[in-house]
Amino acid sequence: MLDKLIRCAASTVATATVAGMLASAPVPAKAGDVTVTYADWQLAQDIWGRSLREAMAEFEKQNPGIKVTTDPTALSHRDVKFTTAIRGGAGPDVFALDVNPVKQYITNGWVKDLTPFIEAEGGEAFLKDFYPNTLQPVSEDGKFYGIPKNVVAMVLIYNEAMFRDAGIDKAPETWAEYREAAKKLTKATKSGGPVDQWGATLVLAKACFDLRFSVVLRGFGGDFLNADWDESRLGEPAAKEAFDFVTDMILEDKTMPPGIAQVDCNGARRLLANGKVAMIFGTMWTLPEVNGMNPDLKAWDVLKMAHVPQKTVDDKSIRSTLYQKTLFMNPNTKNPEAAWKLIKFLSEPKQMQRWFDDNNMLSARRSVNETYDPITSSPFAATVTKEIERAAFLPLIPKWPEMLEAFRQNLQSAVAKQKSPEEALADAHKQYQAILARP
Amino acid sequence: MRDYYKGYLFILPAFLLLLIILGFPAVAAFLQSFNLMWVATPSFTLGSYKALASDPEFLTSLMNTVIFVTVVVSSHLVIGLGVALLLNMDLRFKWLWRVVAILPWTMPDVIGGLVWRFMFDTLPGIVNSVLLRTGISAEPIDWLGNPTLAFLSVMLAESWRGYAYPMLILLAGLQAIPRQQYEAAELDGCSAWQKFIYVTLPNLKHMIIIALVLDVIWESRLFGMVYSMTGGGPGYSTQILTLLSYKQYFQFFNVSYGASMAVVLATVLFFISLPYLRMSMRQQL
Repeated sequence: MLDKLIRCAASTVATATVAGMLASAPVPAKAGDVTVTYADWQLAQDIWGRSLREAMAEFEKQNPGIKVTTDPTALSHRDVKFTTAIRGGAGPDVFALDVNPVKQYITNGWVKDLTPFIEAEGGEAFLKDFYPNTLQPVSEDGKFYGIPKNVVAMVLIYNEAMFRDAGIDKAPETWAEYREAAKKLTKATKSGGPVDQWGATLVLAKACFDLRFSVVLRGFGGDFLNADWDESRLGEPAAKEAFDFVTDMILEDKTMPPGIAQVDCNGARRLLANGKVAMIFGTMWTLPEVNGMNPDLKAWDVLKMAHVPQKTVDDKSIRSTLYQKTLFMNPNTKNPEAAWKLIKFLSEPKQMQRWFDDNNMLSARRSVNETYDPITSSPFAATVTKEIERAAFLPLIPKWPEMLEAFRQNLQSAVAKQKSPEEALADAHKQYQAILARP
Repeated sequence: MRDYYKGYLFILPAFLLLLIILGFPAVAAFLQSFNLMWVATPSFTLGSYKALASDPEFLTSLMNTVIFVTVVVSSHLVIGLGVALLLNMDLRFKWLWRVVAILPWTMPDVIGGLVWRFMFDTLPGIVNSVLLRTGISAEPIDWLGNPTLAFLSVMLAESWRGYAYPMLILLAGLQAIPRQQYEAAELDGCSAWQKFIYVTLPNLKHMIIIALVLDVIWESRLFGMVYSMTGGGPGYSTQILTLLSYKQYFQFFNVSYGASMAVVLATVLFFISLPYLRMSMRQQL
């Protein structure tokens, strides 16, 4: 009897294994089939990856004869991998980028001009559904190099339950209120124990620094560069106020957790998920991510969104930063028609709805954000959509990644007390001027 | 065909492979540093090298590299020699201790960096956890957020990971020392210390030079450990030359500038490797 059971179990396991291998094995392309490669850092993420792979399967079904190979590329290695491959005449046919390196890709010819494809689809009629500002990063000299997929603005995300416990009844609207709330929220949760709950955290590590610190700078009425992106604004009083505000919160108030130099966006989300901090800057993706990290928190109920604080309530200037994910075509692609079909598919309204359903991401298409019921009825989407109107992109110039890193390293030096905040900001300002003066 | 030429024919495929794999990137980096390759309008310029001389970030990174390599290589030689001496003794389960001693070296430097980073993490890290629980520290220490502590932490981590390489070279050297020399020293009434000073060290001289030169080259080129542990921060405090070169080349797309840093580093390392090259050529002659 036992023998039979073991044999039966063994044959079941063997059958299941073979079936699993067959199911997971890639279906070989038939003769005449075209294969396009799609590279995206979010393919490596759990929810996003599943969502994207489901979309690819649907694309293959709709387009018999085109096979899609997915290439999950880690965000930290993305540019190294793409630019080296493209310079060597290879690389993925279609790939996704955020806006930071886009101008370098365009300037160096690492992305294909999509204008002929767009014109064949109707030109302006094809583009009119996209928010006009989403086309700004992907266009140069009247040519279009990419198709926007998702766009969001950064907002303040806070834990309402922790606010209530600290006796705070509303989200901070000004930086003074933000700082006061952070002080009230910083405490030792065990009597006589060390402080183990902090009011807020920023991101000072490299990953995601750009979107988080920029809202503080802009919320104070300052910015990194002027409107033409050719002059530093770090010498202005608003920049000093923002810089001092952050260093004071970390060093004097101690309302941000120790070790903040290593906190990246995932670290910040983990601190929020574990109830260690009550406020972070984030956007639509923060909720599913935090929920995945700690389902017990009940993130969808406990976390709330509010606009980025400002210096004064009646300030109407830009206070937030836009994030955009865009699809590009490799100039080396051997199958431009198939690659364009994939780009068009991934940015069509139906797929945009999928990105919201699966990942809580807003669309770069106005029609989707304004008519798709789950979006129009979401309080989170309402806050972020409203904030898009008060948000702007970070400088869209090839020198921007270098300038951003110079600023971050100087801020870290100030937080590590290697330089005074005045020295650090002055150094960053000088470095900006030197970088901008370079041909 | 004479046998003399046949020999060259046999090594030709390997030679060509090496030329492509090692030679091409070196030539490409050299040309890029003068703005002659992979740029829209190639034109010879010494601009990148001139800019290096007045770039404070480059000079800081160069100084960090010198300190890092000096401390780490010294610790590798001291720890490596100590462990090699222990492993050269008649121990029980000698094979097991040898495996244990070599384990850190088998770990990829990026993984090693991540492990140490988690250990030194301010809030959930094991180091702070032990210090807080035992009452040695009243509050968490910001190991990787304090410039001095961060540099010490990175050097400690790399001292642990890389000591096995010189250790293996020195162990091979120890095993090659004829036993008769120790027996003669014992007959002369030498103490253990005297045997170490007058027999072991003179016999190990060449091996120590080889270990020193190769480890200096290895550590000067180190990237993954520092990149994954601190990313060069806080500020510029742990930024070594390889990190700056990588950033300039791949993150800022300043191809010529990044390549010029790599060329400077390669030139310095070439001169450092001269004693080793001379020694190995002399042995061949």
